[in-house]
Amino acid sequence: MKDIISKEQLFNHPIQKVWDAITHQEQISTWFIPATFKAEKGFQYTFNASGGDCSPIRGEVLEATPYTLIYSWIVTENPMKTIVKWVLEEVDGGTKLYLEHSGISNYHGETAIDMFLSFNAGWDSCLAGLTNYLKNIVHAG
Amino acid sequence: MQDNITKILKAISDPTRRELFHALVIAATALPITQVSAQFNITRQGITKHLKTLENAGLITITTSGRERFCKAEAQPLQEVKNWLHFYEKFWDTKLDQLGDFLDQKE
Repeated sequence: MKDIISKEQLFNHPIQKVWDAITHQEQISTWFIPATFKAEKGFQYTFNASGGDCSPIRGEVLEATPYTLIYSWIVTENPMKTIVKWVLEEVDGGTKLYLEHSGISNYHGETAIDMFLSFNAGWDSCLAGLTNYLKNIVHAG
Repeated sequence: MQDNITKILKAISDPTRRELFHALVIAATALPITQVSAQFNITRQGITKHLKTLENAGLITITTSGRERFCKAEAQPLQEVKNWLHFYEKFWDTKLDQLGDFLDQKE
């Protein structure tokens, strides 16, 4: 077992379009989480998960040069920092996205356990709420 | 606390220790250290050192019975790491699906 989550996904869309979707505030806010975001190194961003007692995610943009985007990821109520990395690659017929979320091993003992407990308690419902929110938007549009 | 994430991850970052741990998980019972080391092509000392690391991480327990020492897998600490991974695995799968839908709709 490792402490890195990695995902690879192909999109049948040009690389610039995918890049815009993951770096532009309005677009992030539409498909991901309502955001205050600028793809500039050093920018302190916020993702505001919608719904009841969901804690926002904040962090700092560590790198934002086409086509690599890296930011720290901190769930506000637990000062635990993990790292999210997006890398895009132009491939035949579209774009390959490589996503990596890492860093849980930086955390120790009880803090880590607190974090897991809070995930279990709050985050699942936040995500459910968010998914519904996005569905509604799609249907309304 | 014994079962902290760093220790656990460090313990399972080594391929030999992963194999050792895996062998014990599969055995699902306490095994004599002599029997465990017979399965691995490294020195008895090497095995003992690896088992100690696993023990420190709370991943195995070592008990002495008579002249033999037994080791047994304790999978519970892994649950912590698993919870985190499981949560974000699901999270990112959902999100990347949403990204795909978003891109498809945006022409």
